[in-house]
Amino acid sequence: MMAEVAAAEAQGLRRVASAAARPRRAPWRRDGRTAFLLLAPTLAVFGVFVLFPIVFSFYLSFQQWNLFSGAHTFVGGANYRAVFADPEFWQVFRNTAVYTLATVPLNMALALGVAVLLARRMRGKRLLRAAFFTPVVVSSVAAGVIWRWVFDPNLGLFNVSLGALGLPAVDWTSNGTSAMAALIIVGVWKTFGVNMVLFSAGLSGIPRQYYEAAAMDGARAWGQFRHITLPLLAPTTLFVLVLSMIGSFQVFDIVFVLTRGGPLGATKVLVYYLYEHAFKYFDMGYASAVAYLLFALLFAITLVQIRAFRNRGAGAV
Amino acid sequence: MQRRASLGGLRLALPAALGLGLLAAGCGGGEEAEGGRTRVVFWHSFVNSTIPALDELVARFEREHPDIDLVPQYIPTGDALVQKLITAVRSNTAPDVSWIHADYLEDLVAADAIYPMSEFIDGPDGLSPADLADIYPALLTYASYRGTLYSLPMEATNLGLLYNRDLFREAGLDPDRPPATWDELVAYSQRLTLDRNGDGRFERIGFAVPVSPGTGPDGPWMVWQFTAFLMQAGGDIIDSGQTRVLYAHEPGRQALNLWKRLFDLQNQRQFSNEYQSTFVSQQAAMMLDGPWNLPNYPRLLRGIDWGIAPLPAGPDGPATVVGGEYLAIFRQSAHPEAAWTFVKWVASPEIQAFWSQRSGYLPIRRSVLELPAYRAFLAENPGLRAYAEQMAVARAQRSVDFSSLEIQRNLAVAIEQATVGGEDPGAVLDRAAAASNALLDAADRTAVAAPRPAPAPNGAQPVE
Repeated sequence: MMAEVAAAEAQGLRRVASAAARPRRAPWRRDGRTAFLLLAPTLAVFGVFVLFPIVFSFYLSFQQWNLFSGAHTFVGGANYRAVFADPEFWQVFRNTAVYTLATVPLNMALALGVAVLLARRMRGKRLLRAAFFTPVVVSSVAAGVIWRWVFDPNLGLFNVSLGALGLPAVDWTSNGTSAMAALIIVGVWKTFGVNMVLFSAGLSGIPRQYYEAAAMDGARAWGQFRHITLPLLAPTTLFVLVLSMIGSFQVFDIVFVLTRGGPLGATKVLVYYLYEHAFKYFDMGYASAVAYLLFALLFAITLVQIRAFRNRGAGAV
Repeated sequence: MQRRASLGGLRLALPAALGLGLLAAGCGGGEEAEGGRTRVVFWHSFVNSTIPALDELVARFEREHPDIDLVPQYIPTGDALVQKLITAVRSNTAPDVSWIHADYLEDLVAADAIYPMSEFIDGPDGLSPADLADIYPALLTYASYRGTLYSLPMEATNLGLLYNRDLFREAGLDPDRPPATWDELVAYSQRLTLDRNGDGRFERIGFAVPVSPGTGPDGPWMVWQFTAFLMQAGGDIIDSGQTRVLYAHEPGRQALNLWKRLFDLQNQRQFSNEYQSTFVSQQAAMMLDGPWNLPNYPRLLRGIDWGIAPLPAGPDGPATVVGGEYLAIFRQSAHPEAAWTFVKWVASPEIQAFWSQRSGYLPIRRSVLELPAYRAFLAENPGLRAYAEQMAVARAQRSVDFSSLEIQRNLAVAIEQATVGGEDPGAVLDRAAAASNALLDAADRTAVAAPRPAPAPNGAQPVE
């Protein structure tokens, strides 16, 4: 749900940006009116189910509100102060950062690698692409349950395979580091398919002539990749990076099913923490404050990423 | 109490919930069913294997009450149930009567969402003091909040020891003599634990210590099971004035030391925490379990000679923790009287005997155990009989009236820290107690109006 909200927000931002570039036109004028009419149902749904909750949640983050009784009081920044004062928040924040820093590069490298390999002419290309994309469309809960069995210390496929290879078994469920590793493996497996498709689209947009010219000049495969593919893929890479960061910071479902935050809170992530406060302790104000801190963080990270890419892009030209 | 969905139940739970949700959406709003019958919507979280029994119960109720249309609706247990209840209460679509867990009473009462059950009990069509005294007092403790009875139990459960008689024989233990004390539990576990290939990891353990992530969805379930051991050591969760938690006292330490000792000696850190699966696959010889899974065992444990034993006695003697499901009537109900008719009917001895025989739950009333037909039934069902006999030592923990979820969570985290985390039990319990006591200090003790008269602690009559 969070991912969809973020995606919708990102789309909204882009829409605003492109609208600002063109001369303004009131939506009720001529064809604009038809467009507005056709958009109305979507806008209504968006307004009620996306926009309103976002704004309301901001209001809530300054309230003390128990969902059950419905009574709420203004408490100023007390929720935010309480979040910062909670040591668990910082542990959860660290866990989320570790997960993101491990998942995003692995995810992007794998996605790009597979996309490049699949860009060649080969048999069964479509089948492979579909296979790599399948985890994306598999229900997270179903996938989580399956992986829980795969990682089970004494019944699971993973440890049985390690044993067959003569390797020592790994305590996936009771060792914090291993549990995080398990989560990262599943996280990458579950999401890299989207990025692979995005990279594939980006790759198909690079004109063949560049590669032909480079080959003529004697550039090898690695040189072509470094000096043609990577720079020309930069806009796609930025997009993938931003989306992956946002997605990783918002990871929830696989944690909920796979590790349940354990052992000892080692795999508890920000959104899980938010969920607990919202839907277990029903402290909606506190949970909203966490949500807005997460939003602020993601917003800042995204800005930095866009700026960094823009500067680099400017330098290259 | 938190109730574990069985393996079979889990599989059907989700589609069933979705289907029922659609159905509910389809019939929402209509209060009168066809033919002018009064419609009573009943939310529950019975596992899949209990549904046929529930269907029989509903059919019998409607046969005896032709003017009432009882509509059972399945809601997944645990977090989902309370989330649905909140949504329903806030949007004015609450059921007439619903299962609740004792943990929710604090919030439900604060929101004035449910009737005090005493309003019906003391009413013209009420229950007699003798009726109330017949219900196990431990169940009434859980059904009450701050001394007022807000719900009535629908069935009783307690925690017993499920064990594999084949593995007992294989290890040279007498299958008719399950462990009777904590020391025997440890000794038996040692005997039953097995490392076949000598790689230092056990292929089989004796007793599955039910540790799960403290803040995860199974945390409350773990605490409930731990409470049985706390009671065997003579401890309690909280003091009678609701000012200090007691789980860091000596009994709590003894219980956690036992769990940690078993956990370490069986090297459970390197063992699966899918306890039911390890028992079914004969990788664990003993586990804690309740009677609700009994109907599943002929199928799940096919080929295994299994038995149910009372929990081993601790330093303070034998004890087990009582559980049950509690029915509350919602203020938004258009027909609270019809809902009460159902609650009262379910609590009657005759129906309790019927329901227990069909569902595998225990009756909530002591007198049922004396009914000849029920005694004959128990004689044929030794598993359920073991649970029924254990009701004599089944106790309720004193319920926590303030921040109960957080206080329960602090204990769950402490249990995980001492076992999986390898920390000192005394130290982690002290830490959990300090955090919980701070919550109790900060509790708003004026929030709820003065409690009404309540059943006396020994389970006797309410005095108006």
